[in-house]
Amino acid sequence: MNKFVGKISFVEILVWIFLILVFFFTITPIAFMAVSSFMDARQILDMPFRWIPSREYFSSADRTFFTNFQKAILGNNENATFFRNMFNSFFVAIVDSITTVLLASLCGYGLAKFRFKGRNFVFMSIMATMMIPFEAIMIPLYMVVSGMKLMNTYRGLIFPFMVSAFGVFQMRQYLLTFPTEYLDAARVDGLSEPRIYSSIVLPNCKPVIATLGILSFRNQWDNLLWPLLVAQREYMKTLPQYITQFSEEKMTDEGAMMACAFLASIPMIILFFSLSKYFLGGAAVYESRKG
Amino acid sequence: MSGALSGKKKVRKNKIYSIERKQARWGFAFTVPCLVFFAIFSFYPIIYAFITSFTNRQAIGRNYEFTGLENYVYIFTKNNGGFPLSNSIRATLVFTIGTFVPMIVVSLILATFMMQLRRDRYRGFFQLMYYMPAVLSSVVAAAIWMIIFDPRGLMNQVSNFVMHTSGVDYNWLVDPIMIQVSTIIIYFWKYIGYFVILFITGLASIPPTIYEAATVDGSSRWHTFWRITLPLLKPTTAMVSIMAMLQCLKTFSTQFMLYQGGSPRAPIDVITMNIYFTGIRNGRLGRASAMSIVLFVIMLVFTYLQLVANRSSEDVEY
Repeated sequence: MNKFVGKISFVEILVWIFLILVFFFTITPIAFMAVSSFMDARQILDMPFRWIPSREYFSSADRTFFTNFQKAILGNNENATFFRNMFNSFFVAIVDSITTVLLASLCGYGLAKFRFKGRNFVFMSIMATMMIPFEAIMIPLYMVVSGMKLMNTYRGLIFPFMVSAFGVFQMRQYLLTFPTEYLDAARVDGLSEPRIYSSIVLPNCKPVIATLGILSFRNQWDNLLWPLLVAQREYMKTLPQYITQFSEEKMTDEGAMMACAFLASIPMIILFFSLSKYFLGGAAVYESRKG
Repeated sequence: MSGALSGKKKVRKNKIYSIERKQARWGFAFTVPCLVFFAIFSFYPIIYAFITSFTNRQAIGRNYEFTGLENYVYIFTKNNGGFPLSNSIRATLVFTIGTFVPMIVVSLILATFMMQLRRDRYRGFFQLMYYMPAVLSSVVAAAIWMIIFDPRGLMNQVSNFVMHTSGVDYNWLVDPIMIQVSTIIIYFWKYIGYFVILFITGLASIPPTIYEAATVDGSSRWHTFWRITLPLLKPTTAMVSIMAMLQCLKTFSTQFMLYQGGSPRAPIDVITMNIYFTGIRNGRLGRASAMSIVLFVIMLVFTYLQLVANRSSEDVEY
């Protein structure tokens, strides 16, 4: 599209107005969450809403600056499973993203750089799994996992998302362009095949690894449906479940609810701003089998 | 002499052959972990779902028997304790169409507008800000919007201001129509940035020389958009809209959270939610599996459309 040259035109002003309006639409709820996590219910639902809490409010005896966060961490029955649940979320998401990267790169490498009988069949059948939505197989998956006695275990939470067909596809596409001469040179030098993978292939696909790792981390961090089926004990639940439960019982305490949501979002927001390049790159590619 | 030479050749050929074979074995070995994984967690479950959908299996009790098509007849004709599948399909389709049409239109407009900005830095800023809601988890998004949609919340204040009314409660979370609008707004808010970026990727791949040629020929900006950008963007649009549709068909967290928050279930009882309640809460695994197969078939149709769209997108040459 031809960019504007010279003076600021009428159209350009319209463009800016529209973009800024949408900017307010996307940012206002997030700002609302941040601000109201410091307020009490009465203030949050005040008409009209005041974005800056008054000073005398904080100096009142029963409220401190962090009252809501304290409530959010203590949870429904004051036994503070918040940190445990947050750890669960982190643990599951990190393990899943690491295994996704490792297994998908291994498989993608095998498919891209080796010729073996049935290679196309293997590739096509992995691609076929992309057509199976997780939501359609969650009930049998639940039966499989409960049959393996993995209910309320980390393995039960982690196993079904250890690798994604989309990841294999991404890795394969990336490695197809990787120069085979490097690999051959390494072979001539006497490196074993696993060594070639670990010290030549893996270090050379950092951009895909980052994008894929973040994508899979985010999907698991956001996953509610699967933990809802597998984790029924308090100490095995993940953060999305915690928030759902918390907001169910704290319906009238909006401040605490927002504090809980805010606490749960902080890790992702930090990750987003420090690795935004990979987030925006990862958005451009589509994850069809989202957990 | 010639015999000796051919013998030498043969040995060499054999050697190469064995190296290739050894390599091929490694290549296959590298794919085995993934294959095992997919066999257990993808192929087996879908076959299992298919078989279970023909049984009267329940969560409690080990015994079950094959009942033929009974589950399918049940989910399509009976009302399943007040929440029939037909209602779920309606809710899912309303949600899907209501979300993806505005989403595609608005994100296309936003992306074209963003390409007009003078500096890449401005565009980067807007991309970041529009994408930010997608970073929050769906549960958090639903929690925020539940408070905004509260009778005394921000949304009523804003809509009263816009509509020039005062003190009207729009029942965002209670009214059967409004609750559907609410879920659509939440989803739209969360994923708009994602689709803007997809469109920007598509727009950025159109070579600038085409636009230069159009400008030289005296084409107006409006004309350029309708006659050049839009036709060239057709494959991207087709692909993105089917992707958006697939995404919407699978929605669960938003609806589930709103329901847990006290909203009526029937208007937002999407298929995934019905599967969850039928299979896990009520323990009717057979019926839930039949619903899963229905969802699978619906998504298969859309995936097929996506493949067709992808193929046509390769046909475009600049």
